[in-house]
Amino acid sequence: MAHGAFTRTTFNRDFIRGVNMLVTSRKDLRDNGWERVLNYFRSKSMWMLHYCTGCGAIELPPTMTSRWDMERFGIGPMATPRQADLLLITGYLSIKSLKRVIYTYEQMQNPKWLIAFGSCPLNGGIYYDSYTVINRLALYLPIDLSIEGCMPRPEAVINGFNTLMKGIEQGTAVGYKRYEQNYAWYKKNQDAVLNRTKPVFDSGVKQ
Amino acid sequence: MTQKEIIEKIKDSFPNAKTKIIDEHQFSVVIDKEQNIAVLAFLQNIDFKELAILTAVDWMEEKQFEVVYNLFSYSHYQQILVKARIDRDNPKIQSVLNLWDVAKTYERDVHEFFGIEFIGNDELKPFFLHNWLDLPPMRKDFDSLAYSNEVYGKFKEEREK
Amino acid sequence: MNELLTFLGEEDRYKKYELFFGPNHPGMNGNFSYIITVEGHTIKRVDPDPGQLHRGFEKLVEHRLWMQNISLIPRICVPEPDINELVYSRCVEKLMGIEIPERAKYIRTIVLEMARINAFLMGFSGISGTTGLYTGSNWTLADRDYFIDLFEWLTGARVYHMYIIPGGVRRDLPDGWIEKLEETLNYIEKRLSEYDRLIYNNPIVVQRLKGLAPITREDAIKYGITGPNLRATGIKYDTRKAVPYAAYEYLDFDIPVQSDGDGLARAIQRREEFEISINLIRQAIKKMPKKGKIRLDMPNPLKFRVPKGEVYVKVESARGEHGYYMVSDGGTKPYRMAVRGGSYTAGLVYARKALVGMRIEDVALWMATMDICAPDFDR
Repeated sequence: MAHGAFTRTTFNRDFIRGVNMLVTSRKDLRDNGWERVLNYFRSKSMWMLHYCTGCGAIELPPTMTSRWDMERFGIGPMATPRQADLLLITGYLSIKSLKRVIYTYEQMQNPKWLIAFGSCPLNGGIYYDSYTVINRLALYLPIDLSIEGCMPRPEAVINGFNTLMKGIEQGTAVGYKRYEQNYAWYKKNQDAVLNRTKPVFDSGVKQ
Repeated sequence: MTQKEIIEKIKDSFPNAKTKIIDEHQFSVVIDKEQNIAVLAFLQNIDFKELAILTAVDWMEEKQFEVVYNLFSYSHYQQILVKARIDRDNPKIQSVLNLWDVAKTYERDVHEFFGIEFIGNDELKPFFLHNWLDLPPMRKDFDSLAYSNEVYGKFKEEREK
Repeated sequence: MNELLTFLGEEDRYKKYELFFGPNHPGMNGNFSYIITVEGHTIKRVDPDPGQLHRGFEKLVEHRLWMQNISLIPRICVPEPDINELVYSRCVEKLMGIEIPERAKYIRTIVLEMARINAFLMGFSGISGTTGLYTGSNWTLADRDYFIDLFEWLTGARVYHMYIIPGGVRRDLPDGWIEKLEETLNYIEKRLSEYDRLIYNNPIVVQRLKGLAPITREDAIKYGITGPNLRATGIKYDTRKAVPYAAYEYLDFDIPVQSDGDGLARAIQRREEFEISINLIRQAIKKMPKKGKIRLDMPNPLKFRVPKGEVYVKVESARGEHGYYMVSDGGTKPYRMAVRGGSYTAGLVYARKALVGMRIEDVALWMATMDICAPDFDR
């Protein structure tokens, strides 16, 4: 049976786990609130924002259609960032695109997660010497999971989603909290790339 | 018309144009930059109505830019590359937007990447690039790898606070 | 109140407003945006805002060797990457003045037509998805996977193949591949009747497409519109017949045309060319020489030089005329490569004329019928 498929044995297992979680210790409820319970439910119903930022987006339709169906894990597409939980950066980002992705990420409501696809957000990929493609996405936005490949196969994508679901359940995938706490550092990196005021090479030749 | 007849017609009207055959469906014509509107209007009249692409080449050692107009005819099945050389330090040439509407956008593209000014085109605004303050990027003296290392980082390790 | 304000000379400044169509939009093909000024329900002005997929290809190829560029080039056009490899290889072969073996020409034809079928399936998905018929979208995108499986068996990769190189193709067809291809073609032909019932004979889809932005013949040539969009206006021109490449001069096919030039004619044109592609693959399988070389012996890839010269090569892609203008100065790297994408003029220039006067909900449908793909012109 595939992970996440709904059968009687999984229902029994989840039911016992759920009851276990509801009957938590008073200390846990006092410290974390209902966070553990909410994380369990959040991981089963992630809505992905329908925004194709780069070439990796061509492997998303096979993941959505019936061959490698991702809706059985509760993941479905969503049109507006205000109601989406998951932002996929599918591939490289040029700086014009980066500006709009930052606006989109900040428009999404907490809790939200970000997945980086492909090898381009890791270290620039095949466009390492391009004048408009950024080399490291982790300097500008907090990444919760990276899936490598050029481009990743649908099986790798589903594997990545499962890893993220486990991370959410255990409370380790909290990129949005990192973004709030280190906002000044992220903003400094973003401004250094997007809002430059002086040319990089002072050659003295005007257009 | 065959390729030979078209070449003869061009040589009759513009005697100092130099033609060169590339293959049976393609040839190139080198003209002076003052004649570009005249030659293109003449070719448009003998049914070369499609402007496939308008682009430029940077010959840095010879200190010249070369503007290339690529025309195709749906009745003769011939492709013509019309080329004109201009000075690299003060690059200016007349715009051909009165002949083709698409030329306005192609010229905006070439202006952004090479810095060539097209006289008569008032829409030479930023198009593909965002907040670009350096040299036009397609010139040969712009070093793309050094720029990328400087601005986007060379796989440096950086920790959050 | 409206009349009082205009009488006093003030313009009603709440009547016109500006919208972003894209980049974050389910109806958008790729990452690209139009800034449209709308008055009420109708569009008054369009400004395209490209550059969000710009990677600077024309600069990147100048710093890699001639053979190293083969791994970079397919990424220019994402839904149909094989045309880029073919145009690049033909540029190098023409500048060097060499001729590839017969079997390689037929294999190239089969690969190109399979990529064309994939691109058409994506076009069908766009047309049905933007009218709200998501079933058609899911069916066609799932059927693309059968051809992607065949590509994976032949070349090793699903999306970017890097299979067509200067001098021929990289490796020969494996045993049993041709039988599997014929099985897939038979399956796709049976599916066409289901697509017809769902999409093309659907009264809602037909009503939305009929009369949508008709193109006249003079406009089509003046604005550089090529491919199936040009043939839908009635001009009988196909690059595969006029300036043939690969094995097309040995194959026998005719050119369908429609006469209206509106959205319905463009959709039907793609449907008819789909059948021609299936026919071409079957012919190529029959006529292909059973044994032969598939690749010429090329010099050492780390050192070989291409003679000085220039050439412009174009192919017929699903979007139109896709061509490269290549200049070589006799060195080990290209000197200049200019890319002419198939949807440059339709997406950036013709849209400013065609979208004025249209309703907002038809913009996504217009983009799907013209098959505008953003990486083509952003490079």
